Amino acid sequence: MSTLKTLSEYVEQGKGTEAKSLAQKLLGENISPDTIIKEGIVTGLDAIGDKFAAFEAFVPELMVAALAAQEALEVLRPKMTHGTLHKTLGTVVIGTVEGDVHDVGKNIVAMMMEGGGFNVIDLGVDVPMAKFIKEVKYQEADILALSALYTPTRLAMKDTIQALIDEGIRGNIKVMVGGAPIDQAFCDLIGADGYAPDAPQAVKLAKRLMQ
Amino acid sequence: MKEDQIYKDRRYKINELRAKHEKMTARERVKMAINFEEPDRIPIDNWMVPEIKKRCMNYWGCESEEELLAFLGVDVRDNYGPSYVGQSFKEFDDGTVADLWGVRRKVVTYGKGTPHEGIFKEVAWSPLEHMTTVEEINAYQGWPSPDWWDYSKMREECAYWHPEYFVLNKGDRLDRTAQLKPMMYLRGIEQTFIDLARNPKIVECIRDRIVNYFVEYNPKVFEAGGDEIDMFMMGDDMGGQRGPLISVEMWRRYFSDAFRKYCDITHKYGLKVMYHTCGDVYKLIPDFIENGLDCLQSLQPQATNMDIKRLKQEFGKDLSFQGGMDIQQILPLGTPEDVRKMVKYAADNAKKDGGYIFGTAHNIQADTPMENVAALFEGYHEYGVY
Repeated sequence: MSTLKTLSEYVEQGKGTEAKSLAQKLLGENISPDTIIKEGIVTGLDAIGDKFAAFEAFVPELMVAALAAQEALEVLRPKMTHGTLHKTLGTVVIGTVEGDVHDVGKNIVAMMMEGGGFNVIDLGVDVPMAKFIKEVKYQEADILALSALYTPTRLAMKDTIQALIDEGIRGNIKVMVGGAPIDQAFCDLIGADGYAPDAPQAVKLAKRLMQ
Repeated sequence: MKEDQIYKDRRYKINELRAKHEKMTARERVKMAINFEEPDRIPIDNWMVPEIKKRCMNYWGCESEEELLAFLGVDVRDNYGPSYVGQSFKEFDDGTVADLWGVRRKVVTYGKGTPHEGIFKEVAWSPLEHMTTVEEINAYQGWPSPDWWDYSKMREECAYWHPEYFVLNKGDRLDRTAQLKPMMYLRGIEQTFIDLARNPKIVECIRDRIVNYFVEYNPKVFEAGGDEIDMFMMGDDMGGQRGPLISVEMWRRYFSDAFRKYCDITHKYGLKVMYHTCGDVYKLIPDFIENGLDCLQSLQPQATNMDIKRLKQEFGKDLSFQGGMDIQQILPLGTPEDVRKMVKYAADNAKKDGGYIFGTAHNIQADTPMENVAALFEGYHEYGVY
């Protein structure tokens, strides 16, 4: 168990190379990918998330922790897809809305969600509404996560939710929104299911929405 | 100015308030404010995206941008520095265009087909992103030179606004004196954050190249502009919506030395320094002051800890402020009444003893209703009076 703790520390400290080789070693010891994710990676990401919330860690530290989690996941992924034991928390389609090409916040959210146990489909930036709808259907997604940096571009979020309604699939999916100009009031205004101010809280929100 | 009755009616309130309250030139007004004296009214600066500027001109019947600013009582005039005479910026087949640093940008349209349609020039390619060593970065051929500029017309361009207006030398948004921002353009934002945590040598190398450029460039700008420049503005975003992007320790480690250097050079030419940063930088403000800052710009009210009342109380003796008007919620989504309340709140809490210039926390964005823009400027002239 102590090595799982070490893995969580590597993730928390953003030590990607170390996290990767330790994850490999743990797999070799027949520890299931599920356990490695839950007790190694997620624990590490939770720890850095708590520090971020307490202003003991900032964007660079959060970024390298998310990166380290990704690097460890790379080793686990082949086993996850082939194993019957592994079940993701849900499928998230994520992207920055049309007219907006900013993706740093969105990428950290995507990385941390993946590290947190979700299956994440990242559509990138400047994503047309029709593409979100198509992917949500195709992936049978549980959550659609939309990001925007500017106030004019955030209006595309509202249109995307309307498109989900028009397509008759709004009831099947939770929509979460985030980005600098977004707050709870805007989230309520456009009828999204949840808003998170930062990546660690976005992961918590996604878990809540899946309940 | 168009003289049709509809425009005259729209201009009436601002004209009336200005006629009643203004007793000095714009330049005198701003100079008093930044020297912590109380002028006739709080000075006004103006940041707008081009789409809003155009809409304002149509609304108030102004036939040029100059007419618009003069009518609105905007006291500050921007100077973008010398003229670029270096090699022409290369255009690529994919529609991107290189900038001063060799960073490739593309035009992105938002709100296509809607009334708030507009464009932003976004980074499309960062030349240093995939480099892994200091040697590779040093060998980069695209580092700019202060010799790529013609400084000869600067003095005349600044003098054009004198003696009436206050001239702020701020550079172009993409060439503005900074450290972290050009690094992010050159290296990519994500890679820069990763570097800050993992690759200190790469951070230092890129930072030094950037700093050396501005340390050489700025004195040439100040010499060229002479006493026709009234103030200098640099800008580097260090704040996020809920706190600084990096820790205070990291700021001290990587950025405080050159911040001080930039301020020292400016002070040597008898100019004060304004510094733009978005977001919540509350924890960094004591360091900004200690390193020579005179005026903090933006004061994004939706960011945590950036309430103007508190900032004025805690730092108002050492630091003047510009900004504080919310472009994220109140201007685009609020009512004209909300806008007036916001202006009054800032005026009531920041005008005492000077040290405050009205301004929006960033460019007024294209999704802002015209009646809110009108309420903003009418509010400035109504509540800004001493």
